[in-house]
Amino acid sequence: MLNKNNKILPFVYLLPTAILLTIFMIIPILYTFYLSFFDWNLIAPTKEFVGLKNYIEVFTDPVNQKVILNTLIYIIFLVILNFVIPYFISLIVKFFISKMQGTYKVLFFIPSLFSLVVGAMIFTWILNPVSGPLAYILKAIGLTMPNWSNSGILAITVICLITNWKVFGYNFILLLTGLGSIPKNIIDAARIDGIPKWRLVWNVILPMNRGIAIYVLILTIVQGLQYVFTPINVITTGGPYYGSSNVIYQTYLNAFVLYKTGTSSALAITTFLIFLILLFLEIKFVESRDKDYV
Amino acid sequence: MFKRKVNLWHVLLILIVLMAILPILFMISNSFKTLQDSYSSMLSLIPKNPTIDNFLTLNRQVNLLGLTWNTFLMATIVTLGKLLTGLLTAYAFRSYQFRGKMLIYLLFVATIFVPFTIVMIPNYLVIAKLDLLNNVVGVALPQLCDATGIMIFLKTMEKIPNSLIDAAHIDQIPNRKIFFNIVIPILKPSIVSVGAIFFINSWNEYVWPTLILKDKGSFTLPLALQNYISSEGGTNFPLAMALSTIMIILPLLIYLIFQKYILNSISNSGLK
Repeated sequence: MLNKNNKILPFVYLLPTAILLTIFMIIPILYTFYLSFFDWNLIAPTKEFVGLKNYIEVFTDPVNQKVILNTLIYIIFLVILNFVIPYFISLIVKFFISKMQGTYKVLFFIPSLFSLVVGAMIFTWILNPVSGPLAYILKAIGLTMPNWSNSGILAITVICLITNWKVFGYNFILLLTGLGSIPKNIIDAARIDGIPKWRLVWNVILPMNRGIAIYVLILTIVQGLQYVFTPINVITTGGPYYGSSNVIYQTYLNAFVLYKTGTSSALAITTFLIFLILLFLEIKFVESRDKDYV
Repeated sequence: MFKRKVNLWHVLLILIVLMAILPILFMISNSFKTLQDSYSSMLSLIPKNPTIDNFLTLNRQVNLLGLTWNTFLMATIVTLGKLLTGLLTAYAFRSYQFRGKMLIYLLFVATIFVPFTIVMIPNYLVIAKLDLLNNVVGVALPQLCDATGIMIFLKTMEKIPNSLIDAAHIDQIPNRKIFFNIVIPILKPSIVSVGAIFFINSWNEYVWPTLILKDKGSFTLPLALQNYISSEGGTNFPLAMALSTIMIILPLLIYLIFQKYILNSISNSGLK
């Protein structure tokens, strides 16, 4: 039974969060929306109203177009590396082996404890095309390591691999937990009927685990695009020629390197609108119906 | 029952373990190698001439104690703030029925979908106005509440039997006491594990601190490490790896101690 009498007290408990969210999230979002209609450089005393110019620039400027295309490539790579592969592995660990599940969980998670700056540093060492250990091994078998930092697509691949190193274990655990909450009698019944394991996974397990899978998938995109910021900034700073920049990094460059707050804000609002579509999908498919306040 | 064949899947899984762990082992090993050895015996995990010179050099070049203190202070403020706001918010949701509850809940979910880029300019301006640039307090201030924490606490609080709270109400125990003397003790395991996760994440944070901390004296460990990485290939890796090794000690220790709780809380955060 919930206490329905007290009208004021719940809001007292909510007050600290409400104040913080208002000052550091709600007002900032509105202010960024406001800034997206102006030309400004973060310092000048006046802002010039330019209407929709910044938004038109988001879609017509060749650099921004390239960055939007890169963002799509990032999304594809991130979904494969940080969602599909951990999902596959969690299915293996849950249904195809019978021992050491706990050990794999503990070990897979370890890289999640470390900063992406550490990850970026280690991988620039491993993948150094001239003097790194991988180049050394490749040379021993007669291959040469490509100079990946000169190619946008290869740089994107490396950057995604670095975030994969960090978030693999985390996503693996979330997906494994989801698989663990599927009632065992359903799986047993299918087993008794002699249905092949992969068939069982495809026809029963995946549909039943859809909620958490969509949650992890959406989080992979929303957080992944932000996670890659660190390796981009540490290793490539968006280069070669914006080849490894994405919409998040470009927003930062415009604001704090090029001092174009208008373009930056328009990019940020555009990103937010896309994330809101993902939020809508999350609420529709994931936030469960059994919560009495949803 | 004699079909004990080796399960080949373990080969794949052990390979993944190696990919996860080996980079860290090599990093630790390299931080005890001389620059020369880091090239000549690159693939060996045991340093040929183990040395702590890299750590001594680091200690001359940067203020290790100051860096660690800045990082620790920032992570502690962020963790305490997130725990307090999270517990209070979850308690309000657990214990009261009020108007707009569903809307407020969805608003919290929505905060997870707010890209940091949309708040970074205004928040930067606010922190600058408060004269908190180059101060870890300025880094911590905008991130004192966290939706994931609220959700994990809410899930744990929902398991507290209503009869317990009702009994306390009947005994006329004031709400404040119910919160501090009944709810908080029951939640101790999840407070510890969520706190550990908050602390580790904040300890490792990079993006927002780079905007606020420009002065080297105010740097946190990840920012200092970035200064040792050069994209042109001139990085002194043993040195950078020594700094990284220092950086990972605390998160690793926390994980060793609270591993079971931490993994449980992460599982909980995903249970929908």
